Amino acid sequence: MTLMHTHTTKTAPLIAAGIVAMLALSGCSAGGSIAPAADAKQLTGGTVSYGHQQEPACVYGGWIEQAYLSYQVLDNLLSLDENHKIVPWLAETWQASDDQLSWTFTLKDGVSFTDGTPVNAEAIAYNFDYWANGGNSTAAVWLGGYYESAEAIDDLTVKVNLAKPYPLFAENLTQSYFGIQSKQALETRTEEENCAAPIGSGAFTVGEWNRGENIELIRNDDYNSAPANAKHEGPSYVEKVDWKFISDATTRVSALRAGEADAIYDVPAIEWESVGEQGYEQLKYITPGRPQQISFNTAKGIFTDENLRKAFVYSLDRESIVDTIGKGVIPYEGNGAVSQSTPGYSEKAADAYSFDLDKANKLLDEAGWTERDDDGYRVKDGETLDVQFPYAAGRIINADGAAILQGVQEQAKAAGFKVDLIPIPASAAASGKYSGEDGYDISVGYWTSVNAGIQYIIWRQNLQESPNPSNAAFYNDPALEDLIIRANSALETDEQNALYAEAQEYIADRALSVGLYDRLSTLAVNPSLKDVWQESSQGGPVFHDAYFVG
Amino acid sequence: MTHTLLARKADAPAPARGRLTVSPRTRSVIDKLIGAVVVLWGAATAAFLAQIALPGDRATTILNVRSGQTQLRTPEELAPINAEYGLQNPIVVQYLDYIGGLLRGDLGISYQQHRPVWGIIAEQVGATLTLTAVTLVLAWLIMVFWVTLTAGRSSRIRALGSGVDTVTAGLPPYWLGIILLLVFALGLGWFPVIGGAGANGIVLPALTLAIPLAGFMGQATRTEFERSLDAPFIVTARMRGMGDLSIRLRHVLRHAVLPAVTLSGWAIGSTISGAVIAESLFTRPGIGRVLIAAVDSQDLPVVTGIVVLVAAAYVITNLLVDLAYIVIDPRMKNS
Repeated sequence: MTLMHTHTTKTAPLIAAGIVAMLALSGCSAGGSIAPAADAKQLTGGTVSYGHQQEPACVYGGWIEQAYLSYQVLDNLLSLDENHKIVPWLAETWQASDDQLSWTFTLKDGVSFTDGTPVNAEAIAYNFDYWANGGNSTAAVWLGGYYESAEAIDDLTVKVNLAKPYPLFAENLTQSYFGIQSKQALETRTEEENCAAPIGSGAFTVGEWNRGENIELIRNDDYNSAPANAKHEGPSYVEKVDWKFISDATTRVSALRAGEADAIYDVPAIEWESVGEQGYEQLKYITPGRPQQISFNTAKGIFTDENLRKAFVYSLDRESIVDTIGKGVIPYEGNGAVSQSTPGYSEKAADAYSFDLDKANKLLDEAGWTERDDDGYRVKDGETLDVQFPYAAGRIINADGAAILQGVQEQAKAAGFKVDLIPIPASAAASGKYSGEDGYDISVGYWTSVNAGIQYIIWRQNLQESPNPSNAAFYNDPALEDLIIRANSALETDEQNALYAEAQEYIADRALSVGLYDRLSTLAVNPSLKDVWQESSQGGPVFHDAYFVG
Repeated sequence: MTHTLLARKADAPAPARGRLTVSPRTRSVIDKLIGAVVVLWGAATAAFLAQIALPGDRATTILNVRSGQTQLRTPEELAPINAEYGLQNPIVVQYLDYIGGLLRGDLGISYQQHRPVWGIIAEQVGATLTLTAVTLVLAWLIMVFWVTLTAGRSSRIRALGSGVDTVTAGLPPYWLGIILLLVFALGLGWFPVIGGAGANGIVLPALTLAIPLAGFMGQATRTEFERSLDAPFIVTARMRGMGDLSIRLRHVLRHAVLPAVTLSGWAIGSTISGAVIAESLFTRPGIGRVLIAAVDSQDLPVVTGIVVLVAAAYVITNLLVDLAYIVIDPRMKNS
């Protein structure tokens, strides 16, 4: 064996030199212009090759990765345009009653699902009950506490009854979790069939799904129900979308550069600038709703003490960590309740804390954590200032996000916190083991939404008779819940935004949750493919208007 | 090595007290079949227990994975899922249901894809087996070429030969794959970046797995190869006037490849389960990727199904390797 080792050292530099030479060679040939000719004309047909990252188990469901896909296949009642205005989709008009307790939607005439059945009031009412009964877990929590029933008034008029006023109700329906499916399909097809190829009235239908490889989306030639904010009416220009699953970021960017993908999702921060310089069109969307934030466990452990929560936040220079790792692509977010792209966002809540190590140290000293051990961690009565911080690696926190959390760990150490940063696999994160009061001192995560109403889902009290396991801080406060419900029910936008802002400041003042960075949906598109856009509820790609030039 | 153990067992004289008169060969086949069943049962049980032992609650996991959340769930939310998959039953009942299903050839229904596990595996296994086969062929070609070229030459060439073996055997496949992708797919454009199912698309994924394997097999073959080169029968062959190349290929290689044959049995199993790196890097379908996704979502029926399948692949290839020994080494025919 010793012999072999000496040989290795001789040959290794040779091989290394060879690889460097090959890389240099490959670097030279990867250049060239990708821009289409100036007189390029619009082509008809063609297949868009799109490289996406994660492959969900079903096309339709309560996860954002499913919303991206189901948007292509299912139409919603309403759509959100780029100015955050609600515009018609399957519903032409919508109206709340004077007491705000019922909503009436009038449907477009002559729209059919791709199984031939009509998109009528009966089908819409059926979908509402389907969501509320768990057909879509995320739609269910949005409806929870508000939805009572839905009824068909006539063929094209559906009435939805609420338990409490909710002026943002219509806006919430623009999220793809509220995609409308054929009643006949839901009633007669198997769960497997509706999972793999749900039947809607959308611009595409699901063709073959080669698991692990791609989903074919095939143009719906009879499409006549595009949302009002689409760039054209009628069927898509392209015949097919080859929705490929390319989990590896290097491969995804390489596929774009090699011309094998016309568009890709989730461009890594480190490649963002060079992809732009090479002439690819870049689209970036900051998802509204809850940003990537940390919530403190206020029910058990050290962070039941508000001053310790504040000490932790003061010990962090969050902005510098995010700027370093995010390279100017990932935006810093100080607000823990909602992201900067959310209507009713409070700057004041976002600016509540900045880096102040002296303040952190003072608060910790006052709380009696005066001694330090040999490693610099604070100790009180023989106990170290331990912070359990598990995070779902890969699925909720990507590679850039994990690096940011390591920065948090490093900075908190200066104040004497011993942060146990625990990367947990997706299955363990989902298993509930790290979700209860004994599961963590700090939890991290996001939740996209179209407005600050997400605060109701997260901060509503977790009570015996009305459990709310989404309350990650385990913070039961009737005052906060009441504030958010008043905001949800407020009729005037200004009044509503003021109340939502007040709730965000309430959360910030008590250091229940603080922001880290905003979650992004990014796309890079080859310039020979025009008019790909990002829908405004979650930033997913829209291919209905897309066409090739050449 | 399983095959050696099994082979030894088979070589042992039949117990004298045996009432049935069975020929040693039949006896050996029966032993091996029993061994195979025990291995499969063990693998199935281990996979099941490993999944059961995971922290947390399975119904919660299923629901959270479906919704992209990580929260606790209320009993009302969990009840339908528990009922659908029988998760409220005692573990023993679940285990017996599972083993019973295996015996009937029923691997169950995926928690996440809502369809039979057999369908999922059948759809994906072809791509992985193709990748495994091409990997193995490429690894053998590279290894035989390199060893024949460099073993038993001047000390400098020998050093280079074994040095390259050692380095390639230690290359991390992910790193190697990225380099191959950047150079030959993106840079030179000889192969597609995203492989898919096309013939041209399999070259880089297979090389990603084959190069370290070739180095590994080369290490095992080289020593034997150089020893054989000095054996008396080679000297005889040379005296008969045989050329160096034909001596190397016809006589020496045959002696030297036995360790590599053994390793191939192991390599088939490990390539099937290790294919995931090449599969996800080059976006190929295959059970490796399905397995990772299933483990990530605690999709127990899919995980156990694939584990049993991989165990079956190990068992079958090791049986084949035992047979290959007999073909390559005529002395074993009599034992």
